[in-house]
Parts: sequence; C-alpha cells; structure tokens
Amino acid sequence: MEWSMVFAMTTKVIETLAFSLFRIKSYLGRFLYQFQIFAKMTQDIEMKEQQPALSNSLSITAPSTFQNLKEIAALIEVGAYAREVRRIVRAIRWTIQLRRKLKASVLSAFLNYVLIPGSELHSRLYSYLPKEDDQDMELDTATSATQAPAKHPLPELEVYCCFLVLIFLIDQKRYSEAKACSSASIARLKNLNRRTVDVLASRLYFYYSLSYELTGDLAEIRGNLLALHRTATLRLDELGQETLLNLLLRNYLYYNLYDQAEKLRSKAPRFEAHSNQQFCRYLFYLGKIRTIQLEYTDAKESLLQAARKAPDAALGFRVICNKWAVIVRLLLGEIPERTIFMQKGMEKALRPYFELTNAVRIGDLELFKTVADKFSNTFSSDRTDNLIVRLRHNVIRTGLRNISISYSRISLADVAKKLRLDSPNPIADAESIVAKAIRDGAIDATLDHANGWMVSKETGDIYSTNEPQVAFNSRIAFCLNMHNEAVRALRFPPNSHKEKEGAEKRRERQQQEQELAKHIAEDDDDEF
Amino acid sequence: MDPKFTEVSQIFQLFKAAFVRKDFDTCIKLLSQLKVMLTEFKSLPPLFEEMPNAIQERTLARDIYEHAVFLSVKIEDQDALERDFFQLKPYYTDTYGLQPSSQEHPILGLNLLRLLVQNRIAEFHTELELLPSSALENPCIKHAIELEQSFMEGAYNRVLSARQTVPHEIYVYFMDLLAKTVRDEIAGCSEKAYDSLSINDARQMLLFSSDLDLVKYIEEEHPEWEIRKGFVFFQRAKESAPCKEIPSLQLINQTLSYARELERIV
Repeated sequence: MEWSMVFAMTTKVIETLAFSLFRIKSYLGRFLYQFQIFAKMTQDIEMKEQQPALSNSLSITAPSTFQNLKEIAALIEVGAYAREVRRIVRAIRWTIQLRRKLKASVLSAFLNYVLIPGSELHSRLYSYLPKEDDQDMELDTATSATQAPAKHPLPELEVYCCFLVLIFLIDQKRYSEAKACSSASIARLKNLNRRTVDVLASRLYFYYSLSYELTGDLAEIRGNLLALHRTATLRLDELGQETLLNLLLRNYLYYNLYDQAEKLRSKAPRFEAHSNQQFCRYLFYLGKIRTIQLEYTDAKESLLQAARKAPDAALGFRVICNKWAVIVRLLLGEIPERTIFMQKGMEKALRPYFELTNAVRIGDLELFKTVADKFSNTFSSDRTDNLIVRLRHNVIRTGLRNISISYSRISLADVAKKLRLDSPNPIADAESIVAKAIRDGAIDATLDHANGWMVSKETGDIYSTNEPQVAFNSRIAFCLNMHNEAVRALRFPPNSHKEKEGAEKRRERQQQEQELAKHIAEDDDDEF
Repeated sequence: MDPKFTEVSQIFQLFKAAFVRKDFDTCIKLLSQLKVMLTEFKSLPPLFEEMPNAIQERTLARDIYEHAVFLSVKIEDQDALERDFFQLKPYYTDTYGLQPSSQEHPILGLNLLRLLVQNRIAEFHTELELLPSSALENPCIKHAIELEQSFMEGAYNRVLSARQTVPHEIYVYFMDLLAKTVRDEIAGCSEKAYDSLSINDARQMLLFSSDLDLVKYIEEEHPEWEIRKGFVFFQRAKESAPCKEIPSLQLINQTLSYARELERIV
C-alpha cells in the first residue's frame, strides 16, 4: 500500500513539473518530451519493482493487479476531464504491460468497481467472463465495496472496459466471443465523438479486425471498416483514420486484392504519422503492393524503412519485412549481404531465402529450381511464390554475366549448356536471350550469327573517362548536404539563456581574449 | 420474372445462332438488347438480391457475358473485350452457388493474354495473384504464364512456337498481335547485338516469308539499317571513339558549387 502512495505522489510531482515546464516555449519542447520519457521510465521501473516484490503471497497478487487497474482508471478519468490525450495513451501502455496478469476474477472486480452493476453494458461484459472460485472474489469485493462510490461512468471508462474484456478474450483464444464483444463495442462507439476516446477506439478497431481474422471471416467486416474510416475522416480523427486504413489494406491484401488496395491507398488522405507502429505497418503494405506492381525501387525503399523503424520487440514483423526486402533486392539484380541473414533471432526463418540468394548469386538454374521446390511450402505460406517465379529471369541474367566476363569468345551451344536451359531448342533460345540481355545493357558483347558465337567486349580503362568525376560528385554532394542539415539542426543548450554571465566571469573572459590578441600580435612581429 | 426470363432466353438462342453463322452485326444488335434486358433482373451484381430463381438468372447472365467476350474477340475490339470481361468478373469471384463454368479458365487466360499483348505487365501480375494455385495448373492459364516468362527472358522463338500450341482457338487473334510485338522486339535486340546479318538469317529471325517483305519492313521501321551485298548492316559505327571533349560547362558548375559550400563552412 505504501508503494502506491509513493507512486501516486511521484506521478503528481512529475506532472506538476511537467505542467510548469510546458508553459515555457519553443526550444523546451524537446526537453519536455525527454522529460516525459524519463517520467514514464521511472514509473515503469517502479511498477516492475512493485510486482515482483509482492508476488510471494497469492492472495495479494490479484489485488495488486487490481490496484494497477484502478490507478489506470483514475488516470483515464483525469485525462478525460482535462481532455489530455497523452494520459490516455499512457494508460493504454500500462494496460499492455499488465496484459499477462489479467484474470477473470480481477476483471470482474474491476468491472464491478467501474461500471454500475446491473447496467446493460456491465451485464453484457460480465457474461463473457467465466466465474472463478469465490474466495478471491470476496476479498476483492470487500476492498472495492469500501472504496467505490456508485458514479455514472465516463464513456472513456466504458470503452476501456470493453477493451480490457476484449484483450482478455483474445488472449484466452475465445475468438467467436471476442468477435461478438468487439462488434457490440464498435456499435457503441459510433455515437461517441471525443478525442480522448479516439485512442481507445483505434485499439478497439484493431482487435475487432484481429478477432475476425483469427476466425477467418475478414471479408464480412470490410464494409464496416470502410464506413468507420469515413466517419473517422469526417471527425478528423487522424489516429483512427491511420489505423483503419491499415486494417483495410491488410484486409485486401489478405485476399490478394492488390488492385483494390492500391486504389484505396492512392485516394485516402495522407498526413503525418501519429503512431510509429501504424506507420511501419503502412510502409510494409505499401511495399507489398509496389512489389506486385513491379515497382521494385519504391518497394525496396518502403520495405527497408519498415524493417528499420520497427521496434525490436516486433520480431515476426521484422522477419517478414526482411523476407520481402530480400526478394525485392534479388529482383532488382543486387545480392543482399550475408549479414542480413544472420540477424539475431531471424536465422532459421530466413534460411530458405538465404539458399535462394545463393542460387541466384551463382546463376545456376538447376540449383534455383531445387531450392524453389524444396522450400515451396514456406514460400507459399509467405505468399512470395509468384515472386520467386519471376526470379528465374534474374538467375539467367546473372549466369550470362558470369559467362560473359570469364570468356572472351564462347559458342552459343556452350552458353546454352552452361545456363542449363532445358528447352527443345536451346541454341536458338540462348541466342535470343543473349540478344535481349545485350539490348538491356546487362552484358557487353556482340553476337556472330554465322559462326554461332558470342564475343565479349573489352572493358576499357575506366579512369580515363568521366565516370570517377561523376561518382565523386554524388558523394561530395551528399556530404555537403549532410553538413548543411547538421548546421540547420543545431540548437542552443536548453538553459543557456537563463544563466547570466556573472561580472567576474566576464572579466576573466575579456582578459583571456586580450592575452590572445597580444600573443598573436607578438607572433606576427616575430615572423617579420 | 418468369416471362422476362423466357424472353431473355429466347433472344439468347437467336444470338447463339447468329454467332455460329458468323453474322456479327446481328449479334452486336442482339447483345445490346440483351444487356438492357439484363438490367431488369435484380439478382445480378451489383444488387445481388436473393430472388427465387436467382441462380438461374445468374447462370444465364454469365453465359450471355461469356458469349459477349467471345464476340468481341471475333470482331477484334479490344475495348469491348475489356468492358465485357470486367462485367463478367464478379460472376467468377463473388457469386456462390453457381456451377463452375467450363469457359472460366479459357476466358481468364484470354484476359491475361490481352494484358500481356498490351504490355500491361503490372496488371498481369496483379491478376495472377488473384488466381488460386489450382487454377495455375490449367493449360490455358499455364500457357499465358509461360508466354510471359519467355517474353521477359527474351526467348522469343519460344513465344512464336507457342503459337502452334494454342489451347483454345480463340487465342489465335492475340497470338497474331503478339507476333507483331515480338518482331519489333527481335529487331531491336538484333540491332544492338549483331554487327551484320545475312539476308536469309534476318528473314528467318524476323519471320518474314519473303525477302521483299523484309525489305519493306526495314524501309518502314528501321531506315537506318543498310542492305549491302546480301547483308543487313546495323548502324553502330557512331559509338566508336569516345568523345574527346570535356563537358566544360558541367565541370565549371560543379567546381563553383564546391567553392560556395566550402566558404560556408565556418
């Protein structure tokens, strides 16, 4: 109990500090943000210390989670009254940390505390929770009875309760019930139009879509999601818009409807990302669409950015971003480095792609075919199998490039044999393939039809051309650009304007400058 | 709905008869009539209401649109083909309870082929993603996929030989169009790859039946090629010596910008 008071006090102190600092303008904006991070970190550390300390006796663990939930409810109330969204965001963050500890008893006690027992919402949510053994319940109801006044719950709190029950159901894998719960909650949300609810609402949308996806009924909710997106746009709810756009894209891409996904994405309003996770997801879906549409450069940029921005904890997401990024790079003709495949935790998942890269690098069609067949299950579950088929062309090109570099003159029959083209008429095939490769600029050679061979051109001395100058220029421009950006981003140290230079310090500084000036003058004289 | 249904079926029979007779004008007239009458049926997309004989109506509508697709190929109207195919598509993807049509795969393959010929490769791949893997085994669709691969790789002779192995006679129209595209591609590649070709070889590669056709083609499309002593010379003498002049203006600009930026460094 003492811990919670200390906890509450520190929150108050930090909040008042934050408030006072908030009044000071401009360059303290960044400082404040760091302060908030610091505040959150201290709170997290305190909470983590709290829970292991009290976990020894079973009967106290449930109330400590319950206490946390009560604190979260208090925070949400304060946030709702003061109309501050960041508190709600913080509340959600704490809830996610508590997710593992949610049990039916705790939830039912919390529902009793927050909602009016007997109200329609309460009875509906209560019905989802299984009834557990009574002694825990009695303990909790005893404590809650002393503290809870019967008050009319805020809409934020109601939505928050729906949210809690929903994640509880999903964690318990009761997906059909989760479906029903989420649909009912979404229906309730339609009437609420408050910014503070938006954050909770966007989480609800996400779990709504997730529960439908886990039961395999994604197509049903597409109409609902579109309607919700419309409403969010009308209400200028940017976080909701972002979340719903991502959910819709996920919906379309689940059913391979790339065309419709692209049409939606190009027409939907775009703005600064509010949430890093949503932005990462958006980049990933964009990358996927671009890959299928053969725009490999854009796709590579999006996918690599998504993989970089993703938080370290999101391992599965980063794995699949990397898988698609590897394939796009192979399709562009560049070979990804070995270190990509050796990243922590991803080695096993990326193994098939590693072997595929190997086959493409060597330029061996047979090896490529064996690898593709061996891992065809993985590829089809990743939905990359059609892309792998497109890679065949790259394998042939790489093989051709190797041959053209190693031989100055080689007959077409040998080329066909080396490329292992399995076709009824290999020489004619090889001839047309080489001709196309020459036209595309992949290899530098000429063909001699009468004698049936390919003659590689000599690569001249590159330093006698303009090439190095151009390469240098791009690098110089980049460095200069970086320098300019750095200069522009310079900031004064935050408290410099506060410190007035004391009279003593000023005298000292002036003295030093005078000495320096005398020194330089003397040096000059000496040199003369 | 029954009298309308029987009326539509009757006109459809007339349409089919005219189609077999190759009387395309009557076909077009009857088709527009049929389309107007189909708008009265409520169970079709986009309304999708559940009427008592919904399945029958949808099957009939699907048949009508399939014939419309075949008709547009016969009259060689690619826009009409695109329109009719888009109208037909919801019947394949969104309607349940209908017997799978025997023409489904040939028509899907036909659409893929059309996209390939019009060089809309991005849409080709997008459509390909929509097909389930079982459909990829179907000969019509497999044919289109292999064609696209050969096209990408540059094995144009495979493309041309595939013309002989068309799985459905309706594809012949597109194969002819494809042949023309392939010919242009081969000409472009040969230009870069060969110094010269004998007339016979050139004729063979570009698939002309006589020397005269070849000469006419060269005069029309590639006037820069020369024909001398029984050989076709592709003009590539221009790129022999690298330019001796230095791009002075560009260098001056670059150096000035370096100087300016360096001055800015405090």
